Amino acid sequence: MITIHNLVKRRGTQEILSGISFKARPGRVTGFLGPNGAGKSSTLRILLGLDRATSGNALIDGKPFAELHNPLTTVGAALDGSGAHRMRTGREHLRWMAHAAGLSRSRVEEVLDIVGLTNAAGKRVAKYSLGMGRRLGMAAALLGDPKILVLDEPVNGLDPEGIRWIRTFLRERAASGNTVLLSSHLMGELAETVDDVVIIHHGKIVADGSLEEVIGNHSTLEEAFFALTSGLAGDVV
Amino acid sequence: MRAFNAELSKLFSLPGIWLAFLIGAFAPAVIAALDSIAQKEEIIAGLSTRLSEVGYIGLGLGVQGVIILGVLAVSSEYLAESSESGGGQQITTSLTVVSSRIHFLLAKAGAVTVISILLSVVAIMTTVSATHLVLGEYTPAFEWPKLLGAVCYWAFTALLAFGITVLTKHGMIPLAVLIINTSFVSFSFLLSKVTKLALYLPDRAGFEMFMFLSNRFLTPFKGGLVMFAWVVVLFIAAAIVFHRRDVAS
Amino acid sequence: MSFPSSKKITRILGAELDKLVTLPSIWITLTGTFILNLLLAASFTSVGLQGTAGTQSILSIGLASMRYLQAGFIILGILATCSEYNGGQIRTTLTTIPWRGIQLSTKHFALAIIIIPAAFIIAASGVLYTFTMMKDTAVVIEIDTMIKTLLGATGYLTCTTLLSAAIGALFRRTTPALVVLLGYYFVVSPLTRDFPTIRKYFPDTAGSYMYMPPSPNEINVLTPMQGTGISMLWTLIFITVAIVLFRKRDA
Repeated sequence: MITIHNLVKRRGTQEILSGISFKARPGRVTGFLGPNGAGKSSTLRILLGLDRATSGNALIDGKPFAELHNPLTTVGAALDGSGAHRMRTGREHLRWMAHAAGLSRSRVEEVLDIVGLTNAAGKRVAKYSLGMGRRLGMAAALLGDPKILVLDEPVNGLDPEGIRWIRTFLRERAASGNTVLLSSHLMGELAETVDDVVIIHHGKIVADGSLEEVIGNHSTLEEAFFALTSGLAGDVV
Repeated sequence: MRAFNAELSKLFSLPGIWLAFLIGAFAPAVIAALDSIAQKEEIIAGLSTRLSEVGYIGLGLGVQGVIILGVLAVSSEYLAESSESGGGQQITTSLTVVSSRIHFLLAKAGAVTVISILLSVVAIMTTVSATHLVLGEYTPAFEWPKLLGAVCYWAFTALLAFGITVLTKHGMIPLAVLIINTSFVSFSFLLSKVTKLALYLPDRAGFEMFMFLSNRFLTPFKGGLVMFAWVVVLFIAAAIVFHRRDVAS
Repeated sequence: MSFPSSKKITRILGAELDKLVTLPSIWITLTGTFILNLLLAASFTSVGLQGTAGTQSILSIGLASMRYLQAGFIILGILATCSEYNGGQIRTTLTTIPWRGIQLSTKHFALAIIIIPAAFIIAASGVLYTFTMMKDTAVVIEIDTMIKTLLGATGYLTCTTLLSAAIGALFRRTTPALVVLLGYYFVVSPLTRDFPTIRKYFPDTAGSYMYMPPSPNEINVLTPMQGTGISMLWTLIFITVAIVLFRKRDA
């Protein structure tokens, strides 16, 4: 379970996050939505120990990221891009990660097969298309078969087959008791995938609940989103 | 003309350009001052054999600023963005706004030349003031032909850096090679002791334009011509490669 | 923060070694430096052969290329740390190995493991070339002096590489790190030749005492041991600063 509690992040004079709190529960896919610059990436980066919060905490099963015993087998993260050096091959990238986490090379091949990159694994990451890079990021996240997945725009750049594959894959993972937290801009796609929704706007949470609760009286998630993020909540768009 | 202005504004908005300006404006003065301090007693006593090098040594060795300028002008085009933005490089945008690649290259080279000439003028002013500060009335006069030679040396060096970076796309090798070569530990000077041919290397030949070295090989004019020839050849090679290359590679 | 076990540190070291070994630019730079060294050894040797026979020191000529060689190793150091910031790899590294202090120091250690044999081979090859060309005309040297000097040269190049890696970790971009390091080693340092008393405590000058026999008319020299100590101290200081900042900064 992921617990974000009163997270505040200030950079210089600008307050990026103003005390946000929410939970991502096991067995459910939690969608994290918000306009550009709302603070989604900042929250995820603080959760993963990449950035430092000004105050508040972001815990994974009660512990901060840096205190996890073997991070790769607990939390799998796919942030922007492929996260790989452009001059390495996909396989080399996954191999050093596996080495660091004490996983075997055969696991690397398994994971490449899951995301469908086995043929491209011997090519340099610089030659990957956008979608292939995202698949590599996904492979890295799945390497340790973690209980928790944190994904930032996982569908970005994927072809229709890939989009459908991710949707089914994430639902299956949640169904088997894992936690999935994903952020996205594609409302239609997200509405098909998530159970819970958290909407962030200007560094504050404006909606937090199950998909049905957040949609409420609006017809679609998209309508609800625009209603909640333009002006004050409750305004009719 | 529009392309030229565009290239000028691109250069001025580069983050690293201020490092280049700072080094270009002040490094020669510092080097000249330190060298003059070391030579001070000899000059006052009238025994100095390196009198004609006073001040100019700063301009010769402080050329690092324009090297950074020439390299950054090109390497900034090839800096790949993170793959979230599709791995795009500025070069794709640049080539869609100009009519031809040669046009683009000439405009950029022109902008680099103009800025390095301006920078060298600033450097000359700071160097002359610094030398005056250290040596006072014993400062030898700075002659116009030699100062012109120094300005040419700076412009040609910037264009050499520019040309090499067009070929390598990545700035690390040209930066390393040129910074070392124009420092106190130069390859060209070492090679010139091994073979006479090395005296035709661009920086060694270019030095003749304004530094009177103990073993002068070419007249200033010929030295400038040799360096200019190198610049032209390199530019033609760069233009051919650039014209034929796929941007995505 | 719970301190990772030794098994974990071995795994991290293995991963960092994997990373270095699979980075093509490291091998390209090493090969380039090796070739450069042979070319320089050839140049210096031919200049040396033009001089009077019987007065040349094989070691001085064989290691005269050190001033240029250090550029190759500076580039290696910068590449090792700045490559983390390519393609967003730093995010992957930190989500796999979140213990930042351990990660950066292990990276330096992995770099040392690769650099030490490489530096020895490169330095030795230059000296060997000079030896074969000049063994009849030069002053006779003993094997153990040669070994000691080569070890000193290897140590100097390793310290330089690690120091450059620390600077690379501080700047995070290759261009400023390269300009600062090359500017110091090749421009600023020779300029300060006129201030010998404090100069001998600078990293490169102190380091040069690790492998160069002092010339007879120099006062205030350091012994090779003192030179080694000062070099290592500078390297450790920069690595520590790099680690401290790495732990505090956002990725």
